[in-house]
Amino acid sequence: MENENVIEVRNLTKKFGHFTAVDHISFEVHKGEIFGFLGANGAGKTTAMKILCGLSRPTSGEGKVNGYDINREQEKIKRNIGYMSQRFSLYPDLKVWENIRLFGGIYGLSSSTIRAKSEAMLRYLQMENLRNELVGRLPLGWKQKLAFSIALIHEPSIVFLDEPTGGVDPETRRMFWEMIYATAEQGTTIFVTTHYMDEAEYCDRVSIMVDGVIADLDSPAALKQRYHATDMDSVFRQLAVKAQRKE
Amino acid sequence: MTLVYLLEKEFKQFFRDPGLPKMAIAFPVLMMLVFPFAVSMEIRNINLVVVDSDRSTVSQRLIETCTSSGYFNLVDVCDDPVYAMQLMDMNKADAILTIESDFDEQVERGDGAAMGIKVNTINGTKGSIGSAYLGNCIRRFYTDYKQADMGTIAPVIDVSAKYYYNQYMDYKVFMVPALIVIAITMLTGFLPALNIVSEKETGTIEQINVTPVKRSIFILCKLIPYWLVAFFVLAACLVIARLVFGYSCAGSLTLLFLFTAFHIMVTAGLGLLISNYSDNAQQAMFVTWFFMMIFMLVSGIFTPISSMPEWAKAITYLNPMRYYADAMRCIYLKGSSSLDVWYDAVGLLSIGTVMVTWAVLSYKKTV
Repeated sequence: MENENVIEVRNLTKKFGHFTAVDHISFEVHKGEIFGFLGANGAGKTTAMKILCGLSRPTSGEGKVNGYDINREQEKIKRNIGYMSQRFSLYPDLKVWENIRLFGGIYGLSSSTIRAKSEAMLRYLQMENLRNELVGRLPLGWKQKLAFSIALIHEPSIVFLDEPTGGVDPETRRMFWEMIYATAEQGTTIFVTTHYMDEAEYCDRVSIMVDGVIADLDSPAALKQRYHATDMDSVFRQLAVKAQRKE
Repeated sequence: MTLVYLLEKEFKQFFRDPGLPKMAIAFPVLMMLVFPFAVSMEIRNINLVVVDSDRSTVSQRLIETCTSSGYFNLVDVCDDPVYAMQLMDMNKADAILTIESDFDEQVERGDGAAMGIKVNTINGTKGSIGSAYLGNCIRRFYTDYKQADMGTIAPVIDVSAKYYYNQYMDYKVFMVPALIVIAITMLTGFLPALNIVSEKETGTIEQINVTPVKRSIFILCKLIPYWLVAFFVLAACLVIARLVFGYSCAGSLTLLFLFTAFHIMVTAGLGLLISNYSDNAQQAMFVTWFFMMIFMLVSGIFTPISSMPEWAKAITYLNPMRYYADAMRCIYLKGSSSLDVWYDAVGLLSIGTVMVTWAVLSYKKTV
């Protein structure tokens, strides 16, 4: 179990003109773990994540997600991953149940499956009385929880979360992480970027990106020991201070 | 299957939009009720000044012939050509008719009489049509005068023109199919373009791109709703033309709808293509507007293509609106069959195929 990798990346590089956003990074993500992908703004996190999701093509380097090649088999990768971006991206002018139905349909679920899943999802989120509400009218925290659940509707083996808790209040943030834990316990791999260092503590392993390269990668406990720090915040500062790049 | 879910979404979004359904109704109604009257090339109320140095009963009759034609407003009759010119300079006169002092004698003798026509051609159409009208009036005066007063039957060649397809030269019936063309081009050109761009702006397109949806399906779902909107607009226009103006289509309605379907493939394809290359609504709006403007000006809707210079004619072969406008007018006014307008179908279909293929290829799920 420990050695089964769902993501493997070797020398992944992405250049935009003369600017190298991601500079020869290599890492693995194990099945079922919560993998924290940290870095300052502009360190290249989102770019790397988009390549893994098949939204962007790498300039060079290779890798596999769920055993599919990131250079050639992007559409196959897309079948088996969930994605929730930092920009809220459900349809604001569709109702809650309509958004669930749409994305269920897109992933090829049958009508009856979608109905059953919608019920379970709304019950779990305690949003049963909000099913007919336009998603655009929901408070941000509710939207993000809904977006996360919808990203899981087709039971992907990996879910990518790009700053899922940005701008969300602490209580909702805590609930969100409970959802993440519950999902990981069912064997789903979680690949998450965040700016909150308390959230980094919840991850099984954490990588810290600085200027397009991975400065370090290990469990939070091991990282704290290595940098003689009491919390992840201090670890992050020690690494991020070396950054040359401006935002 | 995915297609059904995506279409369902597009329709819900369309009808839930605060403006779009209203616009789809208001636009054809406005186009059909207002513009046939406003966009008229018929020239009336040409302001005429007569410099009458003759002041005879003969010259008086000439003036009457002109004013009774209904095209002219008699502003002034004077003796002074300088004063008449001043009136034109001040924009109070569009045309000056100068009658020489021995006009009545010349006419009596049957010689040609010298007469001057000066026309204000700041508005070129008004000027040229005005001088033609004036020439006609003078000619009519001559024939009438000779037959009535001389008692002799002068050898007059009577040319009578019969106008086909639009018997009374009614400009409105000529413009009705053209206005349908404009309404449909505008709606189906702009709406799909803005639709995709708005998905880019809200970020929802990224969520779609990370799913296994095929790009051809995604594009098709953006096209189909506007296809239906355009059919609705076409039907509404035809009903208004019938109820308000009493015009009906001389040819087959099926053919009208078929050509509209072809044309939407082109405009909607172009709209999607533009939206693929635009980052925001402003860019998409402006570029679409730019193309629409050019299409409209060299489509033959307002000015006949046959009178354009060769290089401009060559450009019109790339203009989808040229084919659509031609087909719509031929079918609506002349009752042309598919055999008569096949080349319009070929034109539209070839441009449409290029547009849609390009739109699908340029829509990239992976950057």
